[in-house]
Amino acid sequence: MNKLIQSIVLLLNFIQSEQLSAHAVVTDYSLKKTAIYANKSDKIELTFNSKIELGLSQIYLVSKGDKQELLKAENGSKQGQIIVYVPPLQSGEYAIKFKIFAADGHLTEDVIHFSVV
Amino acid sequence: MAGIADFLDSLVGGFDLICYSLTIGGLFWGLFVLRPWDNQNQYNSILLHKTITLVYRGGFLLAAAQLFKLVLKIWLMTAVLERWPFPDFAYTTQFIGGIVRSILTIFLAGYCYQTLSKHPFSKSHWIIAVLVALPMIISGAWLVHAAARFDNKSLQMSLTVIHQLAAAAWIGGIFQLVNLWLLRQAEQVPDQLWPLMLRRFSKFGIASVLLILASGVPIALQYIDTWNGLVGTGYGNLLIVKIMLLSLALGFALLNKKAVAQYIVSANDYVLNKRVPYYIEAESFVLITLLFTAASLASQPPAIDIPTLTASWQEVINTFAPQIPQMNSPSHTALIAGEAGRVAIIDQIPSIAATEWSNYNHNIAGIFLTVMSFFAMLSYVKFLPYPFSSLSRYVQLTRYWPLGFVGLGVFLFFRSDAETWPLGPIGFWESTFNNGEVLQHRIATFLVLSLGLFELSARMTKNPDSKLPFVFPLLAAFGALMLLTHSHVGFQAKSAFLIQVGHTTMGLFSLILACGRWLELKLDKPRSDIAGFISVAALFQIGIILMFYREPLY
Repeated sequence: MNKLIQSIVLLLNFIQSEQLSAHAVVTDYSLKKTAIYANKSDKIELTFNSKIELGLSQIYLVSKGDKQELLKAENGSKQGQIIVYVPPLQSGEYAIKFKIFAADGHLTEDVIHFSVV
Repeated sequence: MAGIADFLDSLVGGFDLICYSLTIGGLFWGLFVLRPWDNQNQYNSILLHKTITLVYRGGFLLAAAQLFKLVLKIWLMTAVLERWPFPDFAYTTQFIGGIVRSILTIFLAGYCYQTLSKHPFSKSHWIIAVLVALPMIISGAWLVHAAARFDNKSLQMSLTVIHQLAAAAWIGGIFQLVNLWLLRQAEQVPDQLWPLMLRRFSKFGIASVLLILASGVPIALQYIDTWNGLVGTGYGNLLIVKIMLLSLALGFALLNKKAVAQYIVSANDYVLNKRVPYYIEAESFVLITLLFTAASLASQPPAIDIPTLTASWQEVINTFAPQIPQMNSPSHTALIAGEAGRVAIIDQIPSIAATEWSNYNHNIAGIFLTVMSFFAMLSYVKFLPYPFSSLSRYVQLTRYWPLGFVGLGVFLFFRSDAETWPLGPIGFWESTFNNGEVLQHRIATFLVLSLGLFELSARMTKNPDSKLPFVFPLLAAFGALMLLTHSHVGFQAKSAFLIQVGHTTMGLFSLILACGRWLELKLDKPRSDIAGFISVAALFQIGIILMFYREPLY
């Protein structure tokens, strides 16, 4: 009986979720106030609620057909701010997808949609 | 693979807090409750040996858990970032703090194992052990939520450490009481120690709870700034769950305190021996669940940071609103057709078929549970009132109610994953071991089938010493733990929260189901019947929630 219970508990330990914890979240971003214009390189400011380990984070540009391209990013001048450099884009719908490792040890994935006009 | 690492991270977080409670709570127990130097004639070596063993074993396991958390983080980052995270990870607070805390914990556990165990009656050795623990306790401050924040960082880090310390003192003390009861049952310690320790722990427990509240309330006020934030976010929701679990545990603590007071007046130890130990066991279930919930809370964004993603209280209430269960399922073809649009990032199209598929699964499962728990509640009735009295002879058939779990298991097997065998094109083994979500559903199916078969056998057995009946409450408690720790945080925080709120409520009822059944098996009549009825009534509530479940469209 004990062995059976142990086996069940062991098996249940491998249960998983496909989603990641999300303690760090974006509290503000420049796309709220400033649009991205077509055929012109630009930058997007993301402000997080936590300190971010940029070396362990990735930010992607997602374009039509869910094609993903890794973007260059650096720390901004304010606390929790990340500056993301966006290449010249044609008008259309895009998204910024980021995988962020916060200083509290949580890895977060999230997406911000935007339009290029 | 990232999902497995992330989920294990939540589980290890809870395990870490249990070990922390065993170690730090055990030290406080020795220093403030047991006080061996004052009671050299009353205590024997077995009691002190077992007490200190719990402390150092908890410490070694805590160090292992801390190191395993680092391994999981490396695994998680490698899977998500698709690259080896070093050397960057080596410079993070998490890595350095984790290594430092592990070393300090090993040092503490080593001291208790090597030195304290050889001088268990020495006050100075107990004090040194607490002093050795101090750096480890303080080092934990760099591994909590607050360490990454910008506002009131030091204050929040300090309050969190005090909160953890107070919780460890209380919960570690409860673990030590369970240990003492087991020793007493085995006749390895004198009988009079049981009431003595209960009385001493009563005061210590009250002080710990007051400290938990005094440190917890300011933390909550920093992270939740509106009533809507409390009701309409994952962080607020888990905090409410923590408050409810705390209330439940305090309810058991109050019963114990009353029993001790009654014993002091009457010298009758019946309640102290026949009820209190089992209340303490049930309290342990609640407190362990509380620790896992606390670990899960750390993975939620604070309500104050997501004001635009907060659900209104009307939306939360609407999640539980009674409605006609969905009895028709969309076709498998329609479901598969909508998947590509649903999971797309650009041009995402919410799938009505996926939502209805999920609603149907939840609602039918709810009907299964509601019907079987109705019969389960009926099984506690000896005779039916008029005009149903002629049916009383059939009431005994209601004891076969666990068979409903078998039917539910078969239903889940066919319906959980539309794209896999037997309904979809992906094979059984391929889907089970290549997709974590499918694996989760397969295990849930196995769990439900096991619950049914174990509980049916347990209720049928004529062997009074059978351990079979204890499987059901243990599995139910584990189910509660999973429902409470498995948060649904995805790309759409509000939709995810509205799914989460139903699951955490079911988690609470699942814990009541577990505690009720456990107490039914342990207590004397009529309390055992009352506990048993509450247990299946909680199952009924889970059925009702599932029957009315509506998934947000996303």
